[in-house]
Amino acid sequence: MTIARRAFMAATAMTLGLGLAACGGDLTQESSGSDSSGTIKLGMLTPLSGSSAAIGPYMRDGAQLAVDEINSKGGVDGRKLSLTVEDEACDPKTAAAGAAKLVSAGVRISVGGYCSSATLPTLSIFDKAHIPMIVPAANSADLLAEQRRNVFLINGTGIQQAQAAAKFIKAEGSKRVALVDDNTSYSTDITKRTRDELGLLGTKVVNHQSVTAGETDYSGAVNTVLDSKADFVYWTGYYQEGGLLIKQLKAAGYQGSIMVADGSVDGKLIKIADRDNAQGVFATMTQTPQTIPGGQAWIAKYKKKFGSDPGPYSTQAYDAVRVAAEAVEVAGSTDGQAVIEALEQIDGFKIFSGPLDFTIQHTLKTGGFAILVVGGDNFALNR
Amino acid sequence: MAAEAVSDFLASKWLALGVAVAALALPYLNSDTYVIRIAVDALIFVLLAVGLNIVVGFCGLLDLGYAAFFAIGAYTSGLLATVFGWPMIATVPVVVVAAVVGGLVIGGPTLRLRSDYLAIVTLGFGEIIRITANNLDFTGGPNGLYGIPSFGDVGLRADITLYWVTTVVVCAAVLFSSRLGRGRIGRAWRFVREDEDAAKAMGIHTYKVKFAAYIAGAVFGGIAGVLFAAHQTAISPPSFNFLWSALILMAVVLGGMGSTPGVVVGALAISLLPELLRGAENWRYLIFGLLLIVAMVFRPQGLLPARTGEPGRRRGRRAQGGVS
Repeated sequence: MTIARRAFMAATAMTLGLGLAACGGDLTQESSGSDSSGTIKLGMLTPLSGSSAAIGPYMRDGAQLAVDEINSKGGVDGRKLSLTVEDEACDPKTAAAGAAKLVSAGVRISVGGYCSSATLPTLSIFDKAHIPMIVPAANSADLLAEQRRNVFLINGTGIQQAQAAAKFIKAEGSKRVALVDDNTSYSTDITKRTRDELGLLGTKVVNHQSVTAGETDYSGAVNTVLDSKADFVYWTGYYQEGGLLIKQLKAAGYQGSIMVADGSVDGKLIKIADRDNAQGVFATMTQTPQTIPGGQAWIAKYKKKFGSDPGPYSTQAYDAVRVAAEAVEVAGSTDGQAVIEALEQIDGFKIFSGPLDFTIQHTLKTGGFAILVVGGDNFALNR
Repeated sequence: MAAEAVSDFLASKWLALGVAVAALALPYLNSDTYVIRIAVDALIFVLLAVGLNIVVGFCGLLDLGYAAFFAIGAYTSGLLATVFGWPMIATVPVVVVAAVVGGLVIGGPTLRLRSDYLAIVTLGFGEIIRITANNLDFTGGPNGLYGIPSFGDVGLRADITLYWVTTVVVCAAVLFSSRLGRGRIGRAWRFVREDEDAAKAMGIHTYKVKFAAYIAGAVFGGIAGVLFAAHQTAISPPSFNFLWSALILMAVVLGGMGSTPGVVVGALAISLLPELLRGAENWRYLIFGLLLIVAMVFRPQGLLPARTGEPGRRRGRRAQGGVS
């Protein structure tokens, strides 16, 4: 007992001594994150494992394409770009560790962020290191609630998607709408806003429910949708559950329209739901190269380089890198503050979703969501 | 005999002290943001594993919903800090009370059950807490809470401050749990684990003793939750899913049930391996799983199993380390 106590005191004394010795060193403040020569390091957090692992490579390749293009044109102010990718696994803890790893690796601008709940804990990590974040995919309103100056969203937000969805549902002439989400931050954000938007337009929401992600049997949800006699179902979760939901709705004899939100826009949705069931399913999605004029040339470039078609968020990741490069060019350095100011002043820089201009909240001023429809094995623009 | 010496060394006070000092000195050796980050993650995991070790390792109560207490701690302190603006340190007493209440509510009726039934009830409890947090508005629903502050500013980098706070708390907790396990109540716990009926026959109030283990575990989990909330700054229900409960249990089993040094090593392994395997991307959990299987095949009793007998009067017999 006495030995233990004495040892404990010795340890305490040692620690205090060490503490005094090192005060004023790098333990007291974060490095500033600014330099004016050498490679400009961009960092990306994206799911490379876990349930959303399919998205990661699309985002990584999209960003890499932009990096290579900019480098082949001589880089930014003569400086080359490099891209470091870390796994976020759609898990907050993994994402936070990944963000710390990027900070340690000397990343100057973050161009990643897919799952909103996993992106939330990374905000303060990047903020403390004075690293601006250009978030290509994550778009929950919660990301902006703390009003951190370093966070910029270049994906359309829930509110823009909800407006597009409500407008389309109204135009389709639906009278009874069912909204189904998977109870994740991204998904409920859209259903709640869609419900509000539909309320403004005078369309009745007869069923608004959340299902638990990761299950295989959604017959409970399917039955309540059928009981509510809905003629339009809007699913705002991810493609895995979305595919099952479509399949089980059809199997239960549902006749009305189905629409999914951008998290479900993936070829796998069609596979999981079965090709026949998925035909005619609508989707709200940000502009993609498949759906905008002149996008085919970009797809061909991507395909030539990576040997596969671009997927969801390839374009946003591509744009995030281009926006980052533009901001560094305008700012003349990678100093976090200067880059943030440059981003705030960007006006009319051309990206896939239209000319870029940030609102005061750092979201897109104009972010067109398009309505897609499944035809064959793909999503195509609804005409 | 050589094995005995190695094992004596591993269980010695001096090694534990050395590890504690090394942990405290880490920021001087490497203050890299990433290193500090995963070190704090690992330390919080150690705290969880040591807490669960009291329940599963010492007392033999199979708890499959331990993440519930972790969630209670994180949410209680997160709510007090973000909604009411309390400093994190002031939330600790409330968290302890909340964890104890949680332990009473779930432990009260269920600790009369024997192991298998208890496992199922605790499994349900873990899911109930997570799904409740997911569906209530004041817990932020699926988005969870964000903007949780750290432990104040003392002129150091925020992550370093948190690292030292965590290290001190975890060292104290490890010491506390190890001494608790060796004391009178610890012997009662082990007796209950080995044979509940015999323990009862010998005059041990088994229900009370099991309750004590369960509540102690709950408090450890709650405090780990406070540290986690401060560390993550944003918490959401997916962080408290069944996988977490399973991983914490895995750390206890991998390290050696009932052995404090073993559980610390097990927790460090379970927490750091997936990080070190980051480069493996989607293969990460496959490799992680394979490594765990290999570890369990070659060391079924755990990496550093507990030994029966009193310190100094050891007979060299090893516990088989089974639950119940």
